[in-house]
Amino acid sequence: MSLDMRHEAESTANTRIEPGRSYGFFTDTTLCIGCKACEVACKEWNQLPAEDDKLTGMSYDNTRDLSATTWRHVAFVEQMDQGPDAVMPGLQSRWLMMSDVCKHCDPAPCLEACPTGAIFRTEFDTVVVQQDICNGCGYCVPACPFGVVDLDEVDGKAHKCTLCYDRLKGGMEPACSKACPTDSIQFGALDDLIQRAHDRVDALHEGGRTDAYLYGAPDTPGATGGIEKLNAFFLLVDRSEVYNLPLAPTRPASRTAPAFGTGLAAFAGLALAAVALLKGRS
Amino acid sequence: MTRHDRQPDTWNGQSYYDQPPLKNPHWDWKVSGYIAVAAVSGAAQALSWIGSLRDRAAFQGARRNASAIGLIGSVMGAALLIADLKTPQRFHNMLRILRPTSPMSFGTYIFGLFGTSSALASLGELPAVSRYRPLRWITRLAHGGAAISGAGVATYTAALMSATSNPYWSSAPRALGAQFATSAIASGAAALALLERFSGRTRTARQLEGVAALASAAHAGATLCAKQRHQEVGLDEALSDHPGRRLDAADLLVAGALPLAAYAVDRATGGRSPTAAVVGSAAVLAGGWLMRHGILNTGKETARRPAAAFRVASPCNLPRTDKRRSWIRN
Ligand code: SF4
Ligand code: SF4
Repeated sequence: MSLDMRHEAESTANTRIEPGRSYGFFTDTTLCIGCKACEVACKEWNQLPAEDDKLTGMSYDNTRDLSATTWRHVAFVEQMDQGPDAVMPGLQSRWLMMSDVCKHCDPAPCLEACPTGAIFRTEFDTVVVQQDICNGCGYCVPACPFGVVDLDEVDGKAHKCTLCYDRLKGGMEPACSKACPTDSIQFGALDDLIQRAHDRVDALHEGGRTDAYLYGAPDTPGATGGIEKLNAFFLLVDRSEVYNLPLAPTRPASRTAPAFGTGLAAFAGLALAAVALLKGRS
Repeated sequence: MTRHDRQPDTWNGQSYYDQPPLKNPHWDWKVSGYIAVAAVSGAAQALSWIGSLRDRAAFQGARRNASAIGLIGSVMGAALLIADLKTPQRFHNMLRILRPTSPMSFGTYIFGLFGTSSALASLGELPAVSRYRPLRWITRLAHGGAAISGAGVATYTAALMSATSNPYWSSAPRALGAQFATSAIASGAAALALLERFSGRTRTARQLEGVAALASAAHAGATLCAKQRHQEVGLDEALSDHPGRRLDAADLLVAGALPLAAYAVDRATGGRSPTAAVVGSAAVLAGGWLMRHGILNTGKETARRPAAAFRVASPCNLPRTDKRRSWIRN
């Protein structure tokens, strides 16, 4: 049987990529070994330049965060066990690794903020910035609840993970998940992924890892305050803040009406008072 | 029973090596400057329209000044906005779509309406135009349009800042709306009052100062609400070693107490202290800009601090309607 190259993802991720279906990532952090193959694959495929960052000194993480030119970032959390029942107090007790990425939120705060329509939702339910339209207003940057999207100093446009829009169009799974050697990053149709993720949490709980939970799947932390789901969601084993993720993000657009409405009402109230005060000569 | 069921509702001090959880836009004084300019010019047009409705002749001078402020504000505001873009040659892409969820988008249209109606209204000040009745009515209608869209340009900027994930800007949307609106009316009135003073029209100047005083008092009330909210969501604690924690107090002083005291001195001396009144109006204008610039910068600081970002994005701060508000306590 010859491989049909139009549907390569069928053999690499067991998914056929069809327009109109929702796709995303399930990142199971318990499987991550911190090899950074995803970071490299992302940079390579998307031709993103290297940063001239020095060693951070804070940990083995020298990438530090996501940026306009880094769309995958493997966080290294090094924890020392200091608790009362610590086996070796003060010595390294565990490493948590987590490959962070744009969450392709639904609804997406960056998209709802973008005044030019540069950011749009694709036929694969992912969120992409059109580089030929963005005018660098920068409004998507503070809109993102996860500090993902950023403007590039060199070209003055907003950049972030596209969930390999070009590859999906060609029937291929994204570069990062394809490169991940442990399947910590799993690409697939969202309904499949969510099912698989819940099964994984159950299996971990049965095996004694009761601290495992989903972040960003519907009705879990991360999918809060009007954000229904994160199409790139995670399995975590510690508080979300440890991985630099907010526990209860909210949808910024829900604040438009309260702020503008109260502003207009206060303005109108004072304008009415001005009608009484600005008498002229009478 | 999963891990998050046992997590406390509020932030427990942990972070990712103290790295900033959020990113900041490149916005600088040009954005806070735009917000202040839009507020002064929008409110000046609204107040001159209201005054003209009551006594067209008495407010003729104020109307001309407001017309000039409206025009200059529109040109300056547009220049500031375009200069702030990182790809300014594509400024017209703002007009590709109208997005109701984006104050940056619908605000551009309100601002465009304000500029157009202000330009039309200013034509009414030319004798050649006001001689013809139909033209005169068109320019008066445009003045009304500038007044109404002026309310929009003076206040949509509160939505612009609130509809973000920035801990400080987003923490008190209603109070911020009221702060921007009250400070806009105060600033518009103060600007017109100053110009009336300089032109020797004391009567209208004092009426406008009355409006500025009332608006400053309302502004102090709005700022107290914002202060309370900042405390509730934990921003006070998060900013305990940063001057931003005193922003609300500074605002109360410069844009509230100072102008109120100065105007009171003028009133108490029976109008014999015009200098006090001028100081009051100047304080209103300075306070309005300082507040906006302070909010911009304090917000940027809170985005860099896990202590601020994670406190604000705690389940206890979710809107009351969110069913996941207390998933953690179950
Ligand atoms: S994570 Fe940020 S950049 Fe990605 S879709 Fe959500 S809001 Fe947009
Ligand atoms: S910077 Fe570009 S992508 Fe971001 S909101 Fe502005 S126009 Fe849209």
